Amino acid sequence: MEDFLTLLLAGVSVGAVYGLIAIGLNLTFWTTKTMNFGQGSVMMLCAMLTATMVAGGWPQALSILVALAVIAVLMVFTETWTVRPALKIEGSMGWAVSTLGVGIVLQGLASLWFGSQALAFPDIIFTAIDNVVVFGVHVSLQYLAVLVLALALVVVFEALVRGTVWGQAMRAVSMDQDLAAVIGIPVRWIVLGSYIASGLLAGISGILVAQIGGTVDPAFGFELVIFGFVAAVLGGMGSTTGALAGGIAAGVLQQMVGGYISSAAQHGIAFALLILILVVRPQGFFGQREFVKV
Amino acid sequence: MIAVQTVLTRLLTHPVFILAMIVALFFGAAWLTPGTVAILGFLMLNIMLAQSMNLLTGIAGQISLGHAGFYGMGAYASGILMKTAGLPFIVTVPAAGLIGALTGWLLSIPAGRVREFYLAMMTLAFGLIFREIVREWDDLTGGAVGLSGVPSTTLRTLKVLGFSLDALDYFRLVLVVTAIVMWLVHNFIQSHYGRAFYAIHASEVAAGCLGIPRGGTKRMAYTLAAGMAGLAGGLYAHMIGYLGPESFDLARSIEVLVTTVVGGLGSMAGQILSAIVFTFLPEKLQVFAQYQFIVYGLILAFSLILLPRGLAGLLLLPPRFIRPASLRQATADGVAIRPVEPGTGAGLSVDHVTMRFGGLTAVDDVSLELRPGRITALIGPNGSGKSTLVNVISGIYRPAAGTVRFFGEAITGLRDDAIASAGLLRTFQDPRLVPRFTVRENLLLGAHRRYRTGLVSAALSLPAAAREEATFLSTVDAVTKMAGIADVADRPLESLPYGYRRLVEVGRALLAEPRAILLDEPAAGLSEAEMALLARLIRAMKDAGLMVLLIEHHMDFVAELVDDVVVLDSGRVIYHGDIQGMRRSPAVIEAYLGTPETAHA
Repeated sequence: MEDFLTLLLAGVSVGAVYGLIAIGLNLTFWTTKTMNFGQGSVMMLCAMLTATMVAGGWPQALSILVALAVIAVLMVFTETWTVRPALKIEGSMGWAVSTLGVGIVLQGLASLWFGSQALAFPDIIFTAIDNVVVFGVHVSLQYLAVLVLALALVVVFEALVRGTVWGQAMRAVSMDQDLAAVIGIPVRWIVLGSYIASGLLAGISGILVAQIGGTVDPAFGFELVIFGFVAAVLGGMGSTTGALAGGIAAGVLQQMVGGYISSAAQHGIAFALLILILVVRPQGFFGQREFVKV
Repeated sequence: MIAVQTVLTRLLTHPVFILAMIVALFFGAAWLTPGTVAILGFLMLNIMLAQSMNLLTGIAGQISLGHAGFYGMGAYASGILMKTAGLPFIVTVPAAGLIGALTGWLLSIPAGRVREFYLAMMTLAFGLIFREIVREWDDLTGGAVGLSGVPSTTLRTLKVLGFSLDALDYFRLVLVVTAIVMWLVHNFIQSHYGRAFYAIHASEVAAGCLGIPRGGTKRMAYTLAAGMAGLAGGLYAHMIGYLGPESFDLARSIEVLVTTVVGGLGSMAGQILSAIVFTFLPEKLQVFAQYQFIVYGLILAFSLILLPRGLAGLLLLPPRFIRPASLRQATADGVAIRPVEPGTGAGLSVDHVTMRFGGLTAVDDVSLELRPGRITALIGPNGSGKSTLVNVISGIYRPAAGTVRFFGEAITGLRDDAIASAGLLRTFQDPRLVPRFTVRENLLLGAHRRYRTGLVSAALSLPAAAREEATFLSTVDAVTKMAGIADVADRPLESLPYGYRRLVEVGRALLAEPRAILLDEPAAGLSEAEMALLARLIRAMKDAGLMVLLIEHHMDFVAELVDDVVVLDSGRVIYHGDIQGMRRSPAVIEAYLGTPETAHA
């Protein structure tokens, strides 16, 4: 029973991070119907920079802020130099190739700078062995902290999207870019903003996952993006609630399969889930069937 | 520049040159060092992988980010089947291709219902997970240690049909297999299948409205491409004798993608050039190995933007999509529009159709009927629902209520390609053609629904396939003459002015031998002379017994042609009758000019 609860908490907590990754993917999907195929490297870079700076004696909070600032600049570059020009080539998926390319470059640079060995990730608030006893069950504080933080971010994000002018403008851009431009919404900045926000969410997710796992290496991230994508598709592309629910479902399933069946099957399960959902219900559980205007 | 490109293209794509190269490699390999022969063997596999990716990405416009997964599936399949199950080479290598193809098909099942990037993400996931599964499932695959002892030439353990092969023999075998596969792919690309792939790439909606199913076509692209990669993997397994999961990781997939992008998407010759570069260059630049991944990333990030057509775009003329042999067989006695047999039932009838977008009712309870040999105009102010109605009839939108019947059969809710296949064709308000195709290739695309040539026949370029193609090419000639575009028939569409494009689009619909045709503002942007040509085409359609629905704002043009007029306003039919009556109808006058002021101050 304690095993079950531990796995459940781990699943929900990791799953909430998958949800965050998915929300990051949703953001750019809303504004441009694209997503960053190199998002995994963004997570990796953010976690690696944080780990390196903390190891170099910088304060943790400052390290995280600097790493996030680097990510923001990187996303401006990605959007301006790889996504926007590729979108101008009509009927092409060039953006998928070019964003993946940026991800590959980052991974290559990280191997060059940090070596391909895993770096130890510092304990930020709690250590891996801190725990509280709830109803006689040991609950990892690290998992709890990650869960609470991820949920808080989702709530803040949703409040920003629903409650602010910028959020409204973004929804307008997602409906119809041309119309949004005509009524005076700075579409260009909204799109750029969506990429920056998407990168920041990915960066934070990277730090959270590295915190749980304890290490980070250059290849870290690619598989996480797949889980983020599974979460987004499971919940319905574009739905925030769906992303969170999909992420938690994927996380719990992954932990349960890993815990009770085999760690080998753990890798395949996300993929099996992805195929299943796309065959049975491609619009996901919370999404609406996409309407393509002709 | 063009002169250089012409010479290079003539040379490199000349059958005699290609054959000479193959013969030279086949016999010349005997004088090369074993190391060089080994690299040439890898070159063949890289060519096959690049062509596989080109078929998928360059031609069909889909992306695979996990090609090493398909390659690995084939390699492990052939390796395990031979080593563990003891099956012979002539079974295991084709099985590798089939297993690859099956994997590609499975991955692309949702192709008809989701955006392309879902499939790209699925291939990325597949590539990553393939490697993990190979590492974990060690009873079968040898796990991280790898699978050694696969019968191969390096171990002198490979037997094919009872003959023991050495490295040189095996290279020759791989060379011949590669050459045959290239020939099949080349024929395929220059058949109606290849053109359909490219049509899906250019515009899925337009392709659907010519009877090309988007889901089925994409699945076919993934299946064939993955099958080729699997076959290459099967050949690889017996060249090396050892299979390790790291040979099939993301880096390998990226390498294939980079080769294809640099070669030039869509060009087979470009792929071969690029495969040569990427096979030999890394060997020479071993010192830079640590930067290789970064360079590949940079190429992916920027080359599509800076050099979208790759090496082929620099050195060669654009590839063509019709076999020259079929062109030569075309005759001058084609008939542009053949008379349509009058079918049973009432032609096309639209009954009480309603279409809503959220709270907006764009088409509100509209009924109308088209009859063979009559031209019906659909008129109304902007936003009155004309194009929406055409989209409903042609299967792009599914109406909220009402039915559409075509010769008595309900077609409401059918897919657009099924409706086109039944002989109900349409054109678009903004011409949707394949920009890189010539006028002739675009027109031939229209005939898609009439082809009976099968996959095997097209890939082998059997005489029957060429004959069928030649018949349609004869019709293309007749249509270009009638539409006044014969002199630009071999120009790429993207180089032509707007008026020509409209005429090409109407001509393309005619190639489908439609029984009914819906023309959405065909005269918009045409000059007087072009309008006269269009009018001639439309009259010829009427004379041949087609049903014609004409959406048009140009009243003089409409008045000369039409038999019946239907006027829409805010989604409702406000007038139905002849054109004289329309001009007097108070409802129509009000819709266009507003309510006259009755009270004077």
